[in-house]
Amino acid sequence: MSDAALPHAFQYESARHQARTAIAGMWLFLASEVLFFGVLFLSWIVCRHWNQAGFDAGARQTALAIGTLNTVILITSSAFYTAGVAFIEASNTRRLIQCCALAWVLGLAFLILKFGIEWHEDLARHLFPGPRFAITGELRTGAQLFFVFYFVATALHGLHLLAGLGLVGWIIRRAGRGEFSAQYSTPVAVVGLYWSFVDMVWIVLFPLIYLIGRGP
Amino acid sequence: MSPRRLLLTWGLLLGVLAIEVGASFLPIGRPARPLLLLPALLMVGMVAAIFMQIGRGPTVVRLFAAAGLLWLLILLALGSLDPLTRIVYPVPAMERATPAANPP
Repeated sequence: MSDAALPHAFQYESARHQARTAIAGMWLFLASEVLFFGVLFLSWIVCRHWNQAGFDAGARQTALAIGTLNTVILITSSAFYTAGVAFIEASNTRRLIQCCALAWVLGLAFLILKFGIEWHEDLARHLFPGPRFAITGELRTGAQLFFVFYFVATALHGLHLLAGLGLVGWIIRRAGRGEFSAQYSTPVAVVGLYWSFVDMVWIVLFPLIYLIGRGP
Repeated sequence: MSPRRLLLTWGLLLGVLAIEVGASFLPIGRPARPLLLLPALLMVGMVAAIFMQIGRGPTVVRLFAAAGLLWLLILLALGSLDPLTRIVYPVPAMERATPAANPP
């Protein structure tokens, strides 16, 4: 089937034009998301600059093992989804569903580790900023600022991941109905861009939260 | 994308992550520790190039990505310029202590 004969919305000259527009649109959205998270990164720079000792004292309280495992999980999840995109471009729907399902499960595992275990432990150890905050003395203010950054950043990232889980689930459902093929897989590619972006944000957050403040 | 290329990228990403975590235990001075972000930036580039296939899309995709990066740099540079360079912060308590420094 020629490209012009494939179904497409009236405002596009071809299915290829529609696909390229959708992908460009997602990239434009991701560029705006870069600025959204950019403000968080800026707050990290400013807060740490003025409270280095306290900020780093807060960072040393984080669970490095869980953070590292979560980074491995998200990288692997992104790799599985990318494999799924390659499979559907070869018209292998079964493999696409398998790869997306693995990516989805890994995304869910990240959320469970982050919010079910890590946040739970952080709250139990009184690391949420407030009157009962665990760190006292002159480092208290900086450490509280760190944990404000930590909770806001991980919550915002978690919300994005949750949205991504919904999108990947939507792709699995549509793939199960046989809606994608080598000729039409634009939603698979567009959701893949978002899924990898969420991974990318975590790759930057990981050293900011767990590594930079953790001196020997 | 070939499975070999994907596996290689995945392995490289985990390798860089291991280096990043290992480097965090080195005795690096506090002001220099943000350099630990460098492996993360390399990983971000790998994800954009291989997983997101930024080179394969239309030219406007690379334009949007470059614009996002440019505006991020402007945001971080302008936003941190004053806090990172200012050394004197006049505060009300100081003004009261040194009235001569603040002529009407």
